Amino acid sequence: MSLRSWRFFIRNGFQNILRNRVMSLASVTAIMVALIVLGIILVMVVNLDVMMKEMESKMEITMFLKDGVADGERYDLEKEINSWEGVYDVEFVSKHQALEEWKRQLGDKGSLLEGYTGENNPLPDSFLVKIEKPEYVNAVVEKAKAIPAVEEVNYSSKVAEFIEWLARAIRLVGMSLVAVLASVAAIIISNTVRLTVYSRRREIGIMKYIGATDWFIRWPFIIEGFILGVMGSIVSTGLVALGYKFLLDRSSYINMRWGYLGIFKLLPLNEVMLYVFQFSLLLGACVGVLASCLSIRKHLRV
Amino acid sequence: MIQFKNVTKVYPNGLCALSNVNFTINNGEFVFIVGASGAGKTTLIKLLLKEIEPTSGSIIVDDMDLSSLRRKEIPYYRRRLGVVFQDFRLLPDRTAYENVAFAMEIVGAPLREIRRRVPAVLGMVGLGSKAHAYPHQLSGGEQQRVALARALVNSPSILIADEPTGNLDPATAMEIMRIINLINRRGTTVIMATHAKNIVNTMRKRVLQFRKGVLIKDEQEGGYFDEP
Repeated sequence: MSLRSWRFFIRNGFQNILRNRVMSLASVTAIMVALIVLGIILVMVVNLDVMMKEMESKMEITMFLKDGVADGERYDLEKEINSWEGVYDVEFVSKHQALEEWKRQLGDKGSLLEGYTGENNPLPDSFLVKIEKPEYVNAVVEKAKAIPAVEEVNYSSKVAEFIEWLARAIRLVGMSLVAVLASVAAIIISNTVRLTVYSRRREIGIMKYIGATDWFIRWPFIIEGFILGVMGSIVSTGLVALGYKFLLDRSSYINMRWGYLGIFKLLPLNEVMLYVFQFSLLLGACVGVLASCLSIRKHLRV
Repeated sequence: MIQFKNVTKVYPNGLCALSNVNFTINNGEFVFIVGASGAGKTTLIKLLLKEIEPTSGSIIVDDMDLSSLRRKEIPYYRRRLGVVFQDFRLLPDRTAYENVAFAMEIVGAPLREIRRRVPAVLGMVGLGSKAHAYPHQLSGGEQQRVALARALVNSPSILIADEPTGNLDPATAMEIMRIINLINRRGTTVIMATHAKNIVNTMRKRVLQFRKGVLIKDEQEGGYFDEP
């Protein structure tokens, strides 16, 4: 197809949209709704993914040792734990170090612990074990509990597990929702294109008699669907960006209230929105083109 | 050359529109297809355009069996035909010039060729001065001239006209016939379906007359008279 043909197809595509303003608006709205949901899901998932990564790097298990474990046994134990799957660092924290740390954390009131130094130290020796990924935590904990010298195991994987579960749930529920909404949008777009085909049937007939190829007749309608999808993706990304900006502007307040969790940190607007726009554009354009192809197959007998 | 060999067309509703039709039209001939409404004229033209398929028999155009044409080849086949209809079928949102140019754009003609050829063809049908008028600004006769120009712009070897004067007054109809005759004299085969007796009887060309789908008369320099 020559460049001039493409100019004709594109001009025709836009004409089709202007001719059916009401249905075109309905189509853009439908695809926009689907893409807004997609956008929101992407924003959540992207942010949660980053939070999870942050959590994973902090994944730690503390194993408290019974009193009186000999240095040799302790050394063997450290080597053994180090060899477990998912463990990437083991650090021995003596009861003395633990007390010092506690004192440091108490700051001004550190003197309260003065009486517990030396023989009176009630704290146990411990291993601080760093884990690569949350899925290894349970296995490591089980193994640690089986060791006689270990008194107690302390770990805080619950938050990480929850975030991971949440991200997975959002992905699953969200993507099903997007699929449903995208199908609805596809039906509306294909109906719009069908109406355009109908309103242009005379011209289509003339083009056929003159000897226009099937694709020459089809392209304007495919472009119509494409434009509808792209318009929907632009509008939806704009709206999601507005919403995200609103959230970002308030995130300092949220951080103030929830900051102690140390995980709530939103990604910058441009980075997230570029990502959202790419996916919206892709889905919007695909749904638009597929919907018009469907309509053409059914209603454009060339 | 156009050949109909034992062509029968039965529509799905059981109507037999053409029944065992045989004829040959040589290159450069001018042939009238005549008959009352329902005689099968329109069916014959639709078969020639490969808009519909014959139930049996074969149609051969320029040594090519139409039934062997693949779907993708149909547009290219149609480009070898020029077609005009009773209702003109112009694109209403395009000027006369653009309507004619469109036929060339569709076949992918270069712009320089379009700029040269379209005014020449419009001049030939006597519309040079109204090239930039829209169809609704033109009379019926003028619209049919635009349609003729569009049919001719790609230099088809065959011109098919389905009741081209049906919507025109007698004087305008004769003017259109003068142009069609001119086209024929330049070597284009013309097949024209009509029931305008005065035109057929004035022009004295070959006449194929149909009645209820049957070819009842094939006559050189023939006429078309009331059937008894």
